[in-house]
Amino acid sequence: MIKAEHLSKTYLIKEKKHIFGKKEERKVPAVRDISLEIPKGNITGILGINGAGKTTTIRMLSSLIAPASGTLTMDGVDAVKHHLWVKERINIISGGERNLYWRLTARENLRYFGSLYGIDRKELEKRIRELLKTVGLEEAADIPVERYSKGMKQRLQIARGLINEPEYLFLDEPTLGLDILIAKEIRELILTLAKERQKGILLTTHYISEAEELCDYIYVLDQGQIIARGTKAELKEIFKAKPRLVVQEMSLEEVLMKIIKQSRGETDEEHCADNEGGNYQTTAV
Amino acid sequence: MRNIARIMKAEIIKQQQYDYHSYFVWFSLLIWPVLGFLEVYYTYKPFAFTGYLGIEDGGDLLAFLGTGYMAYTCFWSMVQNAWSMSLQERRDGTLEMAFLTPANRLAMNYGKALGALIQEVWMFGCFCLFVLFYTHTLNWKNLWALPLFLVLLLFSSMVWGGMLNAVFLYSRDASMIMDVFDAPMILFAGTRIPVQCFPLWAKVISLLFPLTYCLNIIRFILGIQSRAHNILPDLAGLFLCLAVMAGITVFLIWRVEKHNRETGELQFF
Repeated sequence: MIKAEHLSKTYLIKEKKHIFGKKEERKVPAVRDISLEIPKGNITGILGINGAGKTTTIRMLSSLIAPASGTLTMDGVDAVKHHLWVKERINIISGGERNLYWRLTARENLRYFGSLYGIDRKELEKRIRELLKTVGLEEAADIPVERYSKGMKQRLQIARGLINEPEYLFLDEPTLGLDILIAKEIRELILTLAKERQKGILLTTHYISEAEELCDYIYVLDQGQIIARGTKAELKEIFKAKPRLVVQEMSLEEVLMKIIKQSRGETDEEHCADNEGGNYQTTAV
Repeated sequence: MRNIARIMKAEIIKQQQYDYHSYFVWFSLLIWPVLGFLEVYYTYKPFAFTGYLGIEDGGDLLAFLGTGYMAYTCFWSMVQNAWSMSLQERRDGTLEMAFLTPANRLAMNYGKALGALIQEVWMFGCFCLFVLFYTHTLNWKNLWALPLFLVLLLFSSMVWGGMLNAVFLYSRDASMIMDVFDAPMILFAGTRIPVQCFPLWAKVISLLFPLTYCLNIIRFILGIQSRAHNILPDLAGLFLCLAVMAGITVFLIWRVEKHNRETGELQFF
C-alpha cells in the first residue's frame, strides 16, 4: 500500500516585474497537508477542477518530485528517501500526446523504455508482444507514432506504463480528449488492471462519470486540499442524496455509441432491452 | 555492468532510429565537414611550405588538417547534440519519462553522447581516414596505432559530451555554450593552426580545451609534426581534463535530479 501523510508541496516562482529589475520570488502552495492511501487491487480517485493540485499530488506520490513536508511510504519503505527503489515498482500514464518518441514505432518506443528498466532482452520482447496485444496495437506496432491517432497514442502510453509490470500505476487524466469509444475501452482496461492484475491504481480525472464508474474510493481536491473523501456511497451520504427513480431520456453519448456500434455490426447486449422499450430508461439516482 | 551496457545500447539505438529517416541526413554529415576542411586546405596551399613545425609539403598539411578536423568534428558534434537533445527531449516529455525510470543516469547521459558521436561522425571519420592513408600518414607499419587513436578520440569526446549533456539537463537556457565553444575551440585547440604558433596568452587558453591534448597525442602517435615533442604533459593534461569533466558530470547529474525533485522543472520546455 502507498500511504501519504500530511504531504505538502510549495513551488518557488520567480517573477520579473520590470525588464531590468531583479526577479522576485513568490511561494505558491500547490498541495497542502493531504493524507491518502492507495491499496493494491483498488482504484483510488482524485477528483478536482483544473488547478486543484491533482497533477502535483500524482507527481509527488510517484516520486518524480519530493514533498516539502509530510511522509510517504510504499509497502512500508520510505518513498522519499528510496525514490529509485520506488521507481522500479511504479509507472505513470498521462493523458495527452507527449511522453513518447514520435519518430519511433510503438515497438521501438517500448523497447527503449523497457531497456531503461533493465529488462532482459528475451523477456522484454515477450512483454512487448503481450502489451501490444493488450492495447490493440499489434498491427500498428511498426508504424511511427507520428502517424497514430490520438487514441492509438494513448493506448501506446498505457503499454509504456505497463512495460515494467508496475505494482502501482498513476493515471493522470488518461482519457483526456479521447472519443467515447476509446475512452470506454481504456476504462475497461483500467478496471481489469486493478481487479484482475491486482495493481494499486491512482486515477486523477475531472470527468465525474469516469470516477463514479471506476473508483473504489474518492478524494476530492480543491485549492491543494482534500475537501471530501469516501466511497461513492459515503460521498453521496454527505449531502443526504437519497436514491430517486427517474425516467431519463437516453443521453446523446449513449445514442452516439449505439449508432457507431450498429454501423460496425457490433451487438450491444447491455442496451438491447432499451431498444425494444424505446429510447428511455429508468435510472436510480 | 550489464545493465549499464544495456542502457547505453538502448540510447545509441534510439538516437539512430530517431534521427535517420532520409539519405540526405547521411549526405549532410559528409558534405559540410568536407567543405570546411577543403576551405582551410586551399587557404593554406598557395603559401610556400618551409617545414616549420614539421609541415613540409601538401601531404603533411592534409594529414595535419585531417586529424584536426576529425577530432574537432567529434567534439563539436557533442556540443550540437547536447543542445538539440535538451530541446527535443524536454519538448516531447520523454526526458522526464526517462527520469521516472530507475535507470543509471550516468549511463543514460554517456549513452546519448556516444550515440550521437558514432552516427554524426562516422562518415567524415571515414573521409579523414582516407586522407591519412592517402598521405601515407597511416600505413602498414603504424596501423596498430589506428585503434588506439580511435579509442582515445571516441572516449575523450564521449566524456566531453557527457558533461555537456549534464549542463543542458541542468538548464534549458544553456545554449550560449554553443557560442562559447564553437569559434574558440576551432581556433585555440590546434584544429587548423598549430598551438605552437600562438602567443603565450592564446597557449594558456588552449590548455582549457581537452581537444588540444587529444590532438597533440593523436598527432604524436601518427608522427605528424615533430616526434621530438614530449608527449607526457599532454597525456597528463588529457587525463586530468577527463577526470575533471567526469567529476563535473557526476555532480551535475546528482544536482539535476535533486533540483528536479524540488522544482519539477524537467517537464518544462
